[in-house]
Amino acid sequence: MKRISLIWLLLPAVLLLAAFIVMPTFDLIRASIFDPDFTFKHFQRLVERGVYIDVMWRTVRVSLIVAVICTIVGYPVAMFINLQPKKRQVALLFLILIPMWMSVLIRTFAWIVVLGREGLINDLMIGLGMTDGPVQMLYTSGTVITAMVQIMLPIQIITCYSAMTEIDLDLMRAARVLGARRWQALTRVYLPLSYDGTLTGLVIVFMMSMGFFITPALLGGRQDMMIANLIEFQVQHLNWSFAAAIGIVLLVLTVSMILLLRWTGRFAFRRLLNVGR
Amino acid sequence: MTYKLKLMPAAAVTLALLTGPALAQDKVLTIAGSGGAVKDATEQIFLPAFTEATGWSTKFVAAESNIMLEVETMLKAGNMLYDAMEVSASAYPTGVQNGFLAPIDYALLDPDNTLPEAAKKEFGVVAAAYSTVLVQRLDKNPEGRKMESWADFWDLETFPGPRSLKRQPQYTLEFALLADGVAKDEIYEVLGTDEGLDRAFAKLDEIKDSIPVWWTSGAQSVQLLSDGEVFYSTTYNGRVNKLQESGIPVEIMWNGGALHTSYVGIPKGAPNYEMAHEWIRVRTMRPELEAEYVKFLPYPNFAPGLFDTMTEEQAAQMPTFKANADAQFVADEEFWAANIDRIQERFDEWLLF
Repeated sequence: MKRISLIWLLLPAVLLLAAFIVMPTFDLIRASIFDPDFTFKHFQRLVERGVYIDVMWRTVRVSLIVAVICTIVGYPVAMFINLQPKKRQVALLFLILIPMWMSVLIRTFAWIVVLGREGLINDLMIGLGMTDGPVQMLYTSGTVITAMVQIMLPIQIITCYSAMTEIDLDLMRAARVLGARRWQALTRVYLPLSYDGTLTGLVIVFMMSMGFFITPALLGGRQDMMIANLIEFQVQHLNWSFAAAIGIVLLVLTVSMILLLRWTGRFAFRRLLNVGR
Repeated sequence: MTYKLKLMPAAAVTLALLTGPALAQDKVLTIAGSGGAVKDATEQIFLPAFTEATGWSTKFVAAESNIMLEVETMLKAGNMLYDAMEVSASAYPTGVQNGFLAPIDYALLDPDNTLPEAAKKEFGVVAAAYSTVLVQRLDKNPEGRKMESWADFWDLETFPGPRSLKRQPQYTLEFALLADGVAKDEIYEVLGTDEGLDRAFAKLDEIKDSIPVWWTSGAQSVQLLSDGEVFYSTTYNGRVNKLQESGIPVEIMWNGGALHTSYVGIPKGAPNYEMAHEWIRVRTMRPELEAEYVKFLPYPNFAPGLFDTMTEEQAAQMPTFKANADAQFVADEEFWAANIDRIQERFDEWLLF
């Protein structure tokens, strides 16, 4: 009896997922292989024209870079917050969350003001005589990655942090008491206990980056196309089936990359720290 | 996540229309069009005139994304919410090919035959003429020089400095061919052949490195010029006034511009097909209203006698002003509707490598 009632608790979530994720996904699959009769021509076109595969890999590469940078920058920040007294933790988390209340569009536009030819940094550098003419910073891959990191970083920090709150900090003290040096306590106790949450954050950032659209469109140069930009073009031209086919490939690619990341992440971590030996 | 953004307005609009109080008995004509300045001007000028003429009230829906997407969705759902709508130059052939539009009944609309032939299409009446033109920052030009042709745009020695073009092959490849010496009336003939396409891309190769950014929306092209991000860019002629008003010294080069016409049309299954014709009449055949409209936006139509209402100075800003129109070529939207898929792929590849 108790078990049955617990299952009911899942019902709203299951219904929600079924209605808004599972069914549309099946619809997407259907759209990609029926146009209107059964056909693989859309997938064939995808493979035959190099541009789609190429942009797919560019998307994976950018997303991976963003996820790794967010992890390297976000992890120490999350750790710093977690080691503060409780009251200060709340205040710091609040500061981390503030930028997330602003739309991605606005945060993207802000970079135009900062990095433009006549923007803040160039004005400053020219004023100080550091450079003769304006340096082209906008419309480069570096800018796209910087902006995406800025947008995604809070997500990584929060995910890392919530994993770290589970750690009993007395374990660190115990390690020190038992003769571990600071970095040993960190790598042998703190890291192993937080790596799972960190990896989850990395995967979430990667996954969300795969679908980025506005930021590369506004800040990127001609080579900074991402797959969402190509899907948008196809939708605008009412090529639903082809757009669906690209969407399916993106979905499969993202899911495989997530599995790969989780697996290699765990494996690499074990090797690196010799845990579980 | 963010790529769903484009579809959001459509969903929001549908929801608003379904739940809005306007489903009451009063007679309402639902009209879809662009937002921003176009919406403001339409609401001030044409909507009150329509209500005055017919006694019907109106509901204007600003569709920020491709209207044809919304129309297709509504047709699939079997519930057409729009009675009339703006149909942009590039959307028109798409709408016709997919059968999204209802034919215009000219016997009903214009029994006295006052509209010129140029204004009348089977599935739409010309609502506005606009141009894709080159705009230059006069303050960034070399002393005493300014661009006068597309060949100048390609002349990196006389006119160094960053440039921008729209991130799409249509109304970009045409300019490359013009710069390469192709005559205006042969552009699409040349572009229709593989050699012609090669020629256009080869010409683009010459300035590839001087184009740091390819714009994707009209607003972006204006922002690029206004921020000094680029000194030369194509944009829509209607956006240039705003730049000038904010004190930025820019000038349109009409020579070699692409002239487009957008339409007002009726979607298939529109609930008020006949009344929609009344709207089209107000929107396209009343010169005194149109004269007010072009004071806001230099997007004139073929309302009979429109140019008689304007001063010479005002008229010279219009894309259909004789001298301006003669300097431009008429963009072939049907060519692009038929070829865009194939050429866009090649264009994307060209951008990537």
